[in-house]
Amino acid sequence: MITIAIAKGRMQDDALTLLARAGVRLDDDARNSRRLALTDESGEYRFIFVKPADVPVYVEHGIADCGVVGRDVLLESQADLLLPLDLGIARCRMVVAAADAEIMTRSLGMLRVATKYSQIAGAHFGARGIPVEIIQLSGSVELAPALGLADLIVDLVETGRTLRENGLTVVEEIAESTGRLVVNRASYQLKSESITRLVKALETAVNGGHAA
Amino acid sequence: MRYYIGAEARLRRTIEDTAMSVFAAWSYEEVITPSVDYYDLFEQGMGQAEAQRGFRFTDNDGRLLALRPDVTSSVARMAATLLAERPRPLRFCYAAPVFRQQPQSHAEWRRENTQLGCELIGVGGHAADLEVLRLAAEILARLDLQSSYCITINNVEIFNGVAAHLNLPAAAREQLRRLIDTRETAELRHFLETYANGESKAFLKATQLTGKREVIQTARSVIANSRSVAALDALEELWTEIESLGLADQFEIDLSDVSSLDYYTGLSLKVFVHGAGTSVGRGGRYDGLTGNFGRAEPAVGFVLNLDALTEVLARRMAGVS
Repeated sequence: MITIAIAKGRMQDDALTLLARAGVRLDDDARNSRRLALTDESGEYRFIFVKPADVPVYVEHGIADCGVVGRDVLLESQADLLLPLDLGIARCRMVVAAADAEIMTRSLGMLRVATKYSQIAGAHFGARGIPVEIIQLSGSVELAPALGLADLIVDLVETGRTLRENGLTVVEEIAESTGRLVVNRASYQLKSESITRLVKALETAVNGGHAA
Repeated sequence: MRYYIGAEARLRRTIEDTAMSVFAAWSYEEVITPSVDYYDLFEQGMGQAEAQRGFRFTDNDGRLLALRPDVTSSVARMAATLLAERPRPLRFCYAAPVFRQQPQSHAEWRRENTQLGCELIGVGGHAADLEVLRLAAEILARLDLQSSYCITINNVEIFNGVAAHLNLPAAAREQLRRLIDTRETAELRHFLETYANGESKAFLKATQLTGKREVIQTARSVIANSRSVAALDALEELWTEIESLGLADQFEIDLSDVSSLDYYTGLSLKVFVHGAGTSVGRGGRYDGLTGNFGRAEPAVGFVLNLDALTEVLARRMAGVS
């Protein structure tokens, strides 16, 4: 049996639709239930639904053999995983945003950056030698510049509407993020046949086809 | 930081004794190396990036010391200095804790791990490679893991040959290595487009393969540079021996194992066991190592992680898989 960890929320429906096209189906009862662990129709796959940031944890420990999670989460977690497939779902951008678009070019001694993604933000500014103070928040990051907590934010943007409505504009793009298939290193070797089959079926599904 | 109490401690001791008795049966002599040594030793032995993961502190005279992050460095130096006159080959084994600061990874967080390891020094070629592979297989079989382990093998010169052929600068070579290591197919394809030539595209296909002999055949059909081809020849010779020993079910060829290119010079291997989320052992050939201590000679070895094996077997005994 292959255990697949799915990031709850934004990505969940797209991931399940894609998996169904790849031949891994949950029946409707299961999809609508609130159980956190489910088995697919064939009994070959088990799904677990966890918070996005926990997907790399379950997969790296080998509790789940594979997982579906956004690249943003992977960059932040720095987990040691295999990333065989870009699923192209839940596309969004990791950006730097500010109320004042010129802020990066003003000679401030140090920028204060509010974010949920402290690793990504730290690495982004660190690589360019820009001194920053990272302020770790867990949500509503867009508020921080307006209230004077930070000069900039680093956050995930899908449509840009939340940014606009809070008076922020994108200063630069750090990375694009899409849903990825991640695989545990040991599972890849020990269950190679099943995993390879799943990767191939998903790859066909991503490219618009249906698995037999 | 982990305590072993009662039954778990006995299990751990049994595993250690089993491994050491297999080593002894193959004429490997036990060696006990210092837990604390000068940091320079480990930097020469492991390379800067790995040695820096050791816990470092200063001696009274200001010289930098380290808690040993590996045993191989000490054994290699010992072979080149204390035992320079002893006839080759040298066979050594050990069961010893090593100490490393861990990266921000969720699964490998332990700072202290006990390595069950062996080193075969002074003999090259596939006979020596095969000897350590057989040792690893025998230990795992004796631990009743016969049907639940998998040893992956590769020859790092296959990658090195292609990287040299593409004439990659250091940063690009590292990026290529990382993409292959994490099997990021789409990004790898994108990366290789910049270096458009037939061999690089073909290499993309080959490195995605994990399997038996057919992996070598596929790789052969697409890789032509002489350095990689020589490595493929060596790997195929080794595989033939593995087949003839009836071990092919437990072994796999994994051309994407490129995690420690700067350390290994030929064979590289990783050990996986059902029930462990990460590899429980690794090793390979490091002909470049003893030269750092003044006497260049071939060497090959591997380590198994005693703590990881104990965890797998303890869970199995408790009836949870």
